[in-house]
Amino acid sequence: MAYPYQQPGGYGAPPYSQPGAPGYNPPPGAGYPGGPPPAGYAGAPAPGGYGAPPPTGGYGAPGGYGGAPPGPWGPAPGVDPQVAQWFQSVDQDRSGRITAKELQQALVNANWSQFNNETCRLMIGMFDRDMSGTIDINEFSSLWHYIQQWRSTFERYDSNRSGSIEANELHSAYQQMGFNVTPRFVQTVVYKFDTYVRRSLTLDNFIQSCVMIKSLTDAFKQRDTSMTGTITLGYEDFMTMAVLYKP
Amino acid sequence: MAYNYQQQQQYRPPAPQGVDPNFLAGVFQRIDTDRSGSISANELQRALSNGTWTPFNPETVRLMIGMFDRDNSGTINFQEFQSLWKYVTDWQGCFRNFDRDNSGSIDKNELKTALASFGYRLSDRFYDVLVRKFDRLGRGTVAFDDFVQCCIVLQTLTNAFRHHDQDQDGIIRISYEEFLTLVFSLRS
Repeated sequence: MAYPYQQPGGYGAPPYSQPGAPGYNPPPGAGYPGGPPPAGYAGAPAPGGYGAPPPTGGYGAPGGYGGAPPGPWGPAPGVDPQVAQWFQSVDQDRSGRITAKELQQALVNANWSQFNNETCRLMIGMFDRDMSGTIDINEFSSLWHYIQQWRSTFERYDSNRSGSIEANELHSAYQQMGFNVTPRFVQTVVYKFDTYVRRSLTLDNFIQSCVMIKSLTDAFKQRDTSMTGTITLGYEDFMTMAVLYKP
Repeated sequence: MAYNYQQQQQYRPPAPQGVDPNFLAGVFQRIDTDRSGSISANELQRALSNGTWTPFNPETVRLMIGMFDRDNSGTINFQEFQSLWKYVTDWQGCFRNFDRDNSGSIDKNELKTALASFGYRLSDRFYDVLVRKFDRLGRGTVAFDDFVQCCIVLQTLTNAFRHHDQDQDGIIRISYEEFLTLVFSLRS
């Protein structure tokens, strides 16, 4: 069987990512100098998110960090200043990493208010190799480029500007992004995501499906060393992959 | 490698004592706030409590409706509700059993004990993944609604794996698209 997911570098890789930037390694100095404060990941409420009161000290208050100066990290060269600003405005504890809740807030600031908690958690999972539940500014920047690219693909295929993409066009959209899937799989996606039974996907659902396909494809590829399109999986490895990237 | 899920079986709680149908009819009417004679996903979600002040996991609600909505109406009539009620209370009993410290949510160790008692043999690392994935509140623990979803998902996945594992050696061969389809199908 042919290698099913075609061109390396397909997968909707953003064409404009800078060399070196989209790696999964935190930039030097970022991340955990002595470990992020516990609240960094315990889901401290995103400040001001959805009218929530600001965090009242304790959890993730800067003081808990021994009054550390704003982190030594900075946006890597090449990160769009606007994107860097969104990142920094939600990374309140200046840990250099943001959680799913903070990501959601950053996307709201960028006028992406429609992303639900689950999608944000899946987005973090795209990059979260060390299972910290967080991403750094470079990963955020890569994610941002992916989202932009997915949106432009969506808009290209939403020819009648209905705000949703029809099942038959969805197949072409995935193909164009380098995901070589059959129409049958596309039917499954539409069936599972089409909450309004219109046989079409709205933008947020489309992006959630892209996040899932990309994560699953990456994980699959990693195990498909001989590129046959079929892999051997043990029970626990299978369970881990499915649980991590499930909707 | 040891075949590590053969003893795993569906959790079967003890049969409940008969519940007074009149009592259930009263509960049903309170949940059916629009008096339509059947319970919608939204009504069910509002009626269920996960022990925190956050809305009940909508995915768990959909899973439950999918399980008991025998006439595929998308809603639950009184007949279906009686089975659903038993199911929820059974899960509640099970959850309380494993919530040793009565905190209202179960931590990683409690989850391990629960799933081991269902026959799952999984590593510590896997439990880290599970807690991370099903801990919707970001507290490092799993609330009741998420626990139910977690158990249903594990059951579904194990069944799917077993289906592929024809020689029952705990290892499968799976193609790219089969794999994608399987994971996407977990959405209810």
